[in-house]
Amino acid sequence: MKSHEYDFALADLPELFGWPLATVVLFAAAMHLGASLNVLPSPRPTLDIDRTILLHQAQASRSRHTADVLLIGDSSCLMNVSANQLRASLPGEHQVLNLGTLSYLDLPAYARLLQAYVAANPGRLQTVVLLMHPEALRRASPTEYHVALLHSFYAATDLRDPASSMLVSCLGGDIFKARLLSRALPLPLTGNYGRRYGFTRDLWQYLSENNGSAVDPGQFDRRSASGNAEYRLSPKLELASQAFKAAVPAGVKLYVGITPAPESFVMPNYRQQNSVMLREWGQWLQADGVLEKLPATMPEKLFATTTHLNESGARLYTRLLAESLEKYILQQ
Amino acid sequence: MLFNSGVFLKFFAAFLLLYFLLRHHLQARNVLIVVASYLFYGWWDYRFLSLLAFSSLLDYGVGLGLQRLQDPNRRKLLLGFSMLINLSILGFFKYYDFFAQSLAALMTELHIPVRLQTLNLILPVGISFYTFQSMSYAIDVYRGQVKATRNLVNFLAFVSFFPQLVAGPIERARHLLPQFEPTLKITRPMLEEGLWLCLWGMFQKVVLADNLAPLVEMVYGHSNPGGPMVILGTIAFAFQIYCDFAGYSDIARGSAKLLGFDIMVNFNLPYAAVNLRDFWRRWHVSFSTWLRDYLYISLGGNRLGALRTHFNIFVTMLLGGLWHGAAWNFVLWGLWHGAGLSVHRLWTKRDKTLRHDESFPLPLTPRPSSLSPTGGEGQGEGAVLRTNSAFRFLAWLATMLFVLYGWLLFRAGSFAHIVSLTRALGTFSLPVWTQSYCLNLAVFTLPLAAMQIWQAKTNNLLAPLTLPRWAQALLQGVLLIAIVLFWEKEKVPFIYFQF
Repeated sequence: MKSHEYDFALADLPELFGWPLATVVLFAAAMHLGASLNVLPSPRPTLDIDRTILLHQAQASRSRHTADVLLIGDSSCLMNVSANQLRASLPGEHQVLNLGTLSYLDLPAYARLLQAYVAANPGRLQTVVLLMHPEALRRASPTEYHVALLHSFYAATDLRDPASSMLVSCLGGDIFKARLLSRALPLPLTGNYGRRYGFTRDLWQYLSENNGSAVDPGQFDRRSASGNAEYRLSPKLELASQAFKAAVPAGVKLYVGITPAPESFVMPNYRQQNSVMLREWGQWLQADGVLEKLPATMPEKLFATTTHLNESGARLYTRLLAESLEKYILQQ
Repeated sequence: MLFNSGVFLKFFAAFLLLYFLLRHHLQARNVLIVVASYLFYGWWDYRFLSLLAFSSLLDYGVGLGLQRLQDPNRRKLLLGFSMLINLSILGFFKYYDFFAQSLAALMTELHIPVRLQTLNLILPVGISFYTFQSMSYAIDVYRGQVKATRNLVNFLAFVSFFPQLVAGPIERARHLLPQFEPTLKITRPMLEEGLWLCLWGMFQKVVLADNLAPLVEMVYGHSNPGGPMVILGTIAFAFQIYCDFAGYSDIARGSAKLLGFDIMVNFNLPYAAVNLRDFWRRWHVSFSTWLRDYLYISLGGNRLGALRTHFNIFVTMLLGGLWHGAAWNFVLWGLWHGAGLSVHRLWTKRDKTLRHDESFPLPLTPRPSSLSPTGGEGQGEGAVLRTNSAFRFLAWLATMLFVLYGWLLFRAGSFAHIVSLTRALGTFSLPVWTQSYCLNLAVFTLPLAAMQIWQAKTNNLLAPLTLPRWAQALLQGVLLIAIVLFWEKEKVPFIYFQF
């Protein structure tokens, strides 16, 4: 007995399935053509928290700004220092911009941000403060994607999203998301960041209003704290530091500091070690000053994670940073 | 295996090819369906295939026994045996830990020392669905509504039919089982319908439900959301759970249709309901008709007086809530709807202008492949209400508010969470991201709202298939593009898989 019969013509199949597929192909062609002819807006794939912060800082670095004090560094620089509070705390009339990003980048990438700022705001910059967490000083290699994203953003070119499948990329999905979707629709952030900042667009706005600074909404929990507390300088950091120093324009002062770790997390001799590391790193950078008065550790109640301070911690740390910078600023 | 995964697409493509090759061999086709269905299920965890097979074999044997036995007592005993085994398996895997924990908590409150071991059992996916489907067969045979099948392959195929195996619709033997016997005819309209249902179902899941999920989480995961956000978050959840579950049902119906099978309509524009009974006529139809046919009626339905009828409604809805999961918030959700149905029943009894239907929420079994969203006699109540559009609107609004609070009970994780969310409803604070939230909510709910308004206006669940061919192709192409764009490598499982 027959199982089933197909009661339609073979020609029905291309008609039924072919036209919807043709629409998809047409869309893919339009996306690729639009991108290559630059008819579409330039790529800005603010699709998650990491990329929103990175692209915001990249955008800020190439925009006109009045800041003469520039904060640069990893995510501890981004989260631990309030640019607005620092501006109010520093003696004299100084404008501060925080270009701290995430630790996915390395010193040459920070140098790229610095160069972009200098190019967009010639003659404005007086002071660069480089702040990094000891965790980032030990790690030498950045994530290739985030460095590539920074460069592609400056070059206004498309970059394949590693989270997308090849099919999605071929069908113009990445182009659509980076050039249209991320501009038209704010995307929700996940976890604590979602509850604090909401969406990519709101985080972008927060960063703009706070001159590039953010707050980590988490609360440190020693039991779930991860990471290795054996901090040291990566040997590769020496060359990278020289590359960064080369990007600092003549006449602009460079100060360097290491951001704190939770007291309960570090090794017993960490304070001395921190001091040694800071001096050595300062020499590699040929810094105009090392911020030795900044605390190497702080109480864990002031932390959101092992690398980021929480809002109270950031307030205190910004005050300490202002005090550390005061003597240098007054000398200038 | 998830419908929204590349593995399923490859599996289904390979299956279609084999299905085509076996078109001249009826029994071989049914064997193929069984093998493919077991592969589909075993992809998740092969160890639980034995449960599926056991449940199927049990009711196959019980069906034959019931057919053969004449003595009513023996027949009752045999049916009782089947139900005891089926419900024991379901209860053990799904409810043991819940009851053990609840009992231990109660005993602790009463200062009675007790040591109850929880087993942290993995819930076999789809167990509630296939157990209910298999049990309904035995009950139907017992009631003489279905003739027991001797064909084991057909019966295994009926219980394990992969399009609806893990999340329904919970099919009835009298509808699905006979479809494994004759030569099926796959026509062009069936292909059109199947393709549309698959695309629309996938769109609802991948694009709408999965993008609404983080919006829901932002509110329900928040320690202190304001009242407006609780309302918006609950609206988001109402759409999410609908798109997630109705999306699955549509893909199930669509893929079955491409094979020449017809699976019952599971959702019939539930958010167009103008009263709670109307809602339950339209929401998870295969489950609510199951409750009506095998629980409510077995409890006596409305034949034993008014008080008993209300009691039966409560018990039915309570167990319906508990079916969704071993948690007290599901029990509360069931009781909430039980209370609502009871109040509605009293209201309609009081008001003689409204036509009163004496039966449980679902007097009808929706016609398979019905193109009518309100389905024949189901229009009765709506027809009365339709005479006054203002009243109809108020009735709809009241129903939706009731249903929405029910979703809050359903989604909240605990009693404490329900209390804090309910309290938050009385507060007013808006986060800075309200505008972005509303924009997202609009983007991911409007396509569904527009589609349902279209379906309701045209009285046709398949309204898009009435468009000219080029417009259909364009619409399908747009859906396909959206699915591809939002197709994530990390798959979000269907909500109802956990039930």
